[in-house]
Amino acid sequence: MTDVLGTVIIVVALLAAAYALVATLRDRAMDLGHLIVLGVLEALLIAQAVVGFVKLSGGEGPDGSATFVGYLLGSLLIPVAGAGWGLLERSRWGSGVIVVAGVAVAVMVVRMNQLWSGTGV
Amino acid sequence: MSEPDRARPEHVRPGTRADDGARAGTAARTGGTRPGTATGPGRLLVAVYAIFALAAGARAAVQIATRYSEAPLAYVLSAFAAAVYVLATVALARGGRTSFRVAVAACSIELAGVLVVGTLSVADSAAFPDETVWSLYGRGYGFVPLVLPVAGLLWLRRTARAAGGTPAGGGRPVSGGE
Repeated sequence: MTDVLGTVIIVVALLAAAYALVATLRDRAMDLGHLIVLGVLEALLIAQAVVGFVKLSGGEGPDGSATFVGYLLGSLLIPVAGAGWGLLERSRWGSGVIVVAGVAVAVMVVRMNQLWSGTGV
Repeated sequence: MSEPDRARPEHVRPGTRADDGARAGTAARTGGTRPGTATGPGRLLVAVYAIFALAAGARAAVQIATRYSEAPLAYVLSAFAAAVYVLATVALARGGRTSFRVAVAACSIELAGVLVVGTLSVADSAAFPDETVWSLYGRGYGFVPLVLPVAGLLWLRRTARAAGGTPAGGGRPVSGGE
């Protein structure tokens, strides 16, 4: 994987989580700002998926690519699900779901990098 | 002092029919007999459960599809864990009486699973050559698999209390500790 893109995604995901954590602690529901950050995160993940598939088709990548592809596609669901949940639950707990979503995306990208470089499989 | 008390109409007497009052209150709050397992903090729980259902399910599917013969026991356990997570997610998200029982059962099985498999994987690592969600008490997943069923059971107990009669003191929800 491209290290730069992965790092950017991890930073944005953790920023989204921190931003949502502030709302959770202040007893606020999510607002437009959270939606925008999640949108940026989703766009980055889509870019990563495209780059990932291009590289996989070019013969790069881990031996057993099934797990990697699973992570690549699974990660796309998380920000969307988090945003949907945050819009449904108009309370601090809706923001809390976005915290979980941000942390989950960050963990998934770290795991993808491990799978790609063949460490920690 | 019971004479004047008895003379009063029932709905005026405070505290004597706690169950009726609580039931009416619950019906007004949640629109039925459903315990609200999926609202408020429950959303958070359902979200984490959903992620684990996804993670464990995907992992089990890959393991069984690509290298089942290497460690059949570990992979079957992975699949079982995934099924329990899916069950818990759906039951917590749906609410209602049956779902409540299913959720309690799923969380209990999960707690037992993570404790038994965790202990076995420490004691006899040869039987678990590849990691499952529950290996080493869920260390590979930040010990969340160990915390999750406990949080689930505590949450279920609290929603059950809220639905079955609020104890004196108002039962104000304790804000979640983050």
